[in-house]
Amino acid sequence: MTERQRLGGGNAMMSIGLLMLASLVAITLFGTLIAPYNPSETSADSLAGPTAAHWLGTDSIGRDLLSRLIVGGRTTLLITFVAVTLAVCCGLVLGLFCGYVGGLADQVVMRILDVVFAFPVFLLAIAVVAALGPSVPNLILTIAIVYTPRLARVVRGPVLSVKRWDHVEAARSVGVSEFNIATRHVLPLIVSPVLVETSLTLAQTIFTITALSFLGLGPPPPDPNWGAMLSEARQFMELAPLTVIGPAAAIVFATLTFIVLANGLRERLDVASR
Amino acid sequence: MRRLVLIRLAWMLPILLGVSVVAFVLMRALPGDFAQASAGTTELAPEALNIIRRDLGLDRPVWEQYLRWLAKLLKGDFGDSFTTHKPVLGELLPRLAVTAELTLIAGLMAMAMGASSGLASARWRGRTDWLVRGINGLFLAVPNFVVATLIVLLAGLYFPEVGIFNYTPFLTDPLGNLGSMLLPAFSLALAVSVTISENTRAAVLEVSSQDFVMVARAKGLRPSTILWQYLVRNALTPIITVTGLQLASLLGGSILIETIFTIPGMGQYLFDAVSGRNYPVVQAIVLVAATVVLLVNVLVDVAYARVDARVSYD
Repeated sequence: MTERQRLGGGNAMMSIGLLMLASLVAITLFGTLIAPYNPSETSADSLAGPTAAHWLGTDSIGRDLLSRLIVGGRTTLLITFVAVTLAVCCGLVLGLFCGYVGGLADQVVMRILDVVFAFPVFLLAIAVVAALGPSVPNLILTIAIVYTPRLARVVRGPVLSVKRWDHVEAARSVGVSEFNIATRHVLPLIVSPVLVETSLTLAQTIFTITALSFLGLGPPPPDPNWGAMLSEARQFMELAPLTVIGPAAAIVFATLTFIVLANGLRERLDVASR
Repeated sequence: MRRLVLIRLAWMLPILLGVSVVAFVLMRALPGDFAQASAGTTELAPEALNIIRRDLGLDRPVWEQYLRWLAKLLKGDFGDSFTTHKPVLGELLPRLAVTAELTLIAGLMAMAMGASSGLASARWRGRTDWLVRGINGLFLAVPNFVVATLIVLLAGLYFPEVGIFNYTPFLTDPLGNLGSMLLPAFSLALAVSVTISENTRAAVLEVSSQDFVMVARAKGLRPSTILWQYLVRNALTPIITVTGLQLASLLGGSILIETIFTIPGMGQYLFDAVSGRNYPVVQAIVLVAATVVLLVNVLVDVAYARVDARVSYD
């Protein structure tokens, strides 16, 4: 394996995915700096189409749509990244514990997860966020609650088989502690499926977050976010149909990023698709 | 086989019991209760709030409330709505029927679109394959509510005479009802059809590389016979499984799409109930949705064993 291949080169899907991801990360980190206007600043120019001053036009109270799209992306993506990180960490701990320890503890946790799996994801998300009240921390918590069980299950499967491999037995025979076996001899071998699943979860989270915001269950106004922008644009669709395009394209782009990345990772890491 | 189904159905009971506990406790653990939510912005004296709570039994310990509710539930009574004081079941069923219809139409649509495009992709390979997979990749990234919004936008701009918000009840006009369901169902089905398409393609390709298919070709069987009798039959298992598994997400999606096309299903009912802390309604919806998901899972397993003789659960 050459150095180029090891770094993910030679896999077009992966490179494109990483490039798209880089642009999303840039928006998340520097969104407020890139935006040409203050996203909450109103002007007399309402529902104007694209002009040289306002590339994507303005909304119903004259706020610059491009700025709102960039800053809104920052909110949407920040929630997504933090929430999925949280879900992956919890899923790893839970899945590793269940798969490695096994026995009664595993059975109990898996039966509890069966209960969570019985809820349709989106229904659960609506119930939790509507109940907790829409705010950024609550949205992060909701996403983490909804996706942790799925990740735990993805982690647990491979752990069940890896823990029977010879090198684990060898480590145990020379007196490595169970905790170290689990974290150093089992965990590294299950990273590939987890990475692929993480990327898919990111794509689903973009959907869940924007859909919740679209229904008015997102971060409270006046801070912009993509789902709410699409919903606002829908109300003024007859007067300014082009305002729908920006948020719609942004949501599709972000989702596409993580799907492309997942496919690239799957190909690169040779993970069998489910 | 029959034993398996019975065991799986019996397993649903403890899971549903768990779901009911979660739904019950979750709603009551939240800040604000029905008394406060119904008072809204008007300042009610604490005594007035307490009277509302006492009337609804909300002043009792949570475990007592739960057992009372469960006892009624076992008799088939989901309790009364806090706002309308009518039985929840009577209010829920007509809305559930609408959501179920939308979900079902979308599921069939997704299966038809997904299976045919996946089959075409695997059958002709080359340019067809490339085209189908490219379109699939793009559609997978377009969330259903974005599709719905774009459909509403395009219809409004170019076909204003097509009334997309004219929901017609099935009983007054069955054909008109189906017509008003087509666009919402399509927006729901699009992303799901991609998953089915990709799985169909993979399944057909896998089967077609197996020895018995080569033997069939060598024997000189007609390609269409091979396609339908050998490939499709063997690829059916994954298609059924994937469609079944997607039904849960279709059900969740229906709730979202209903609000866009103003279809009177469970969606709006759920929102109002959650924000108004109308506990019996939320509990009923959650329980019904969970039952549907679990039943579908059992059905998928049964269909699995029916189609594929190699699968045995004994």
